[in-house]
Amino acid sequence: MKVLKLIAASICTIVFCALGAQARSITFGVPLPLTGTNAKFGEIEKKSYEIARDEINARGGIRGMKIVLTFEDSQGKPEISRSIIERLIDVKKQPLVFGEYSSSCSKAIAAVAEERNVPYLVVTGAADDITQQHYKYVFRMNPSNAYYATGFMSFLEHVVKPKTMAILYESSDFGTSGAEDMVNQARRAGIRILIKEQYEKGAVDFKPILSKVKAARPDVIYMVSYVMDAALLMRQIKELRIDAKLFAGGAAGFAIPEFIDNAKDASEYVVTATLWSPQVAYPGSKQFAEKYKRMYQDYPSYHGAEAYSALYIIKNVLTRARTWKPGDIRAAFKTTNMMTAFGPIRFVDRAGYTNQNFMDTLVMQVIRGQHETIWPIKYASAKYIYPIPKWKNRR
Amino acid sequence: MAQLELFSQTLISGFLLGGLYALIGLGMALIMGVMRIINLAHGDIMMVAMYIAYWLYVLLGIDPYISVFIAAPALFVFGLGAQKYLLTPVMKVDSILPHNQVILTVGMAMVLSNLATVFFTGNYRSVPVSYASSAWYLTDIWKGSPIELSLSLPWTLSFVIAVVITIALWIFLGKTDMGKSIRATAQDLDAARLMGVNVDRMRMVTFGLGCALVACAGCLFIPIYYLYPSLGKQFTNIGFVITVIGGMGSTNGAVIGGLILGIFESMTATYIGMGWAPVGRFAIFVLALVFLPGGIVSIFRWKKARR
Repeated sequence: MKVLKLIAASICTIVFCALGAQARSITFGVPLPLTGTNAKFGEIEKKSYEIARDEINARGGIRGMKIVLTFEDSQGKPEISRSIIERLIDVKKQPLVFGEYSSSCSKAIAAVAEERNVPYLVVTGAADDITQQHYKYVFRMNPSNAYYATGFMSFLEHVVKPKTMAILYESSDFGTSGAEDMVNQARRAGIRILIKEQYEKGAVDFKPILSKVKAARPDVIYMVSYVMDAALLMRQIKELRIDAKLFAGGAAGFAIPEFIDNAKDASEYVVTATLWSPQVAYPGSKQFAEKYKRMYQDYPSYHGAEAYSALYIIKNVLTRARTWKPGDIRAAFKTTNMMTAFGPIRFVDRAGYTNQNFMDTLVMQVIRGQHETIWPIKYASAKYIYPIPKWKNRR
Repeated sequence: MAQLELFSQTLISGFLLGGLYALIGLGMALIMGVMRIINLAHGDIMMVAMYIAYWLYVLLGIDPYISVFIAAPALFVFGLGAQKYLLTPVMKVDSILPHNQVILTVGMAMVLSNLATVFFTGNYRSVPVSYASSAWYLTDIWKGSPIELSLSLPWTLSFVIAVVITIALWIFLGKTDMGKSIRATAQDLDAARLMGVNVDRMRMVTFGLGCALVACAGCLFIPIYYLYPSLGKQFTNIGFVITVIGGMGSTNGAVIGGLILGIFESMTATYIGMGWAPVGRFAIFVLALVFLPGGIVSIFRWKKARR
């Protein structure tokens, strides 16, 4: 009998403790691809969410409640992320949802969230149509695909003023879509495309195709490549002394430090479009990047900055919302106007988009062997160098 | 004038690339000639040599061109061992498939590239030598030149070393006793055995030599290219195509085949489009098989026979 009483008492204590803890904390389930081909990005985002969680909790959490995150593996499959979200909304009664990496998963979640009238914050999915469906409850913090290169195009328009361009891209989905986007943007800006050539990934010798580019004399050479091809291209451009007004890369291989390590001095003055960089002059972004590097030995990609900032947006919205009913949270999302480590966040309806954050994308340039943010000027970490010296006169 | 510049620059690139291709094809042709098998682990052996050169540079600061003298003997020994303990025993096993050894080389290729992934991860690496993008320019030498041509320093150096190695092999096969024995084994196995040639030993030396040659090619590629564990397949393909164009098993044919392939690929890239280069590569492969089954050497043989 005594034993039974003791057990009953301890069960009561545990239950009370659990209830007590529940009252002082709030749990968010975050769907992410933790296994499968996108696992690398899922991992970066998970680490970044955790950094943001610890920071927010150290400063008192959301309205005094500690944040608890549970990461749910979606394997990058839309049907799995859909069922995760259904459980979070229907069973866990989560007031809002956020997360996922790929566009297809984000799209699946958006449909469920809209149907259940629960606000959903898209963190990284970039496909244009996610916020083009007039969904009332879906908000996206990252620029959509069509706006990735806006910063780069404005740099061209204001500084370089090119008339002609050559585009080289690798023959993959990534390369082809990047090249197509650039063709459209260039057409709109009145830039003539002289050469648009694809190459097989892993090619050894780019000199024939580069000789052809050289003969065409384009103002800008725009390349969509992964890192090793990017380095080889620039090295062979230097070898052939192709003097374009500007060498530009479409993010990916050109935006990471390995590009400079491999291309060495041939990488100097090359510009690249990017969404975010570790040394951009947004408040808190440098601190985040350094903290991440201290903990995981590597700088985070822009996905990390997006995830990190997403939790701050959630905190901001939930702090401002009158009650935690979907309608009030949605109203709070609508009036968001804040600065994050990823950049300024405002959800607006414009150009066929609903609840979309429009922001300046960045341009980086390699200056003295370092990536520096050069455009837009108000976020620049260094002054851009243009015109760039001819190869003959370098050194 | 711009057209002339474009054409000459393309020709130079193609020639330099072809010289390096020839060295890859040479080892494969040699093995094919003596052992009558296609070594499908060829590119992966090259990958191993590239990792040797890479680590020698990173850990000890040894220039990749000097690594030739380390990687080539190392892979020569590897080749001897592979022939003695893997290929020879397999040759004796009866099976429904006629080419057990070819299948074995496929297995070797898989093991090597997977081991490399386990040990060195799938990351891309390169050796950042200081002269990686140095070049000579025509306008620097001849001020009034109407066209500008450039000649890359590492490419040229790699090409010259490839030529030296090719000539050394040619002398070895033509002038030395062992070279003559290897050629005899290639020409007629039974006759060679009757003449007292130790055929098994010649096979071992040949496989070792083939591995050493492609190891040289690997070291020569390092300053101008990069490496990752699964890079072998691409170069096995190239070696295979060259061997077929050149005439199965002919070393002279492999040299010519390599040059043809290099120039052909460069011309395709300039005048048709770089995306077409791999298509073109296999188009001439098929054409060579259909219309010139004996390869380029068969043209020479046919001319000689008519005379």
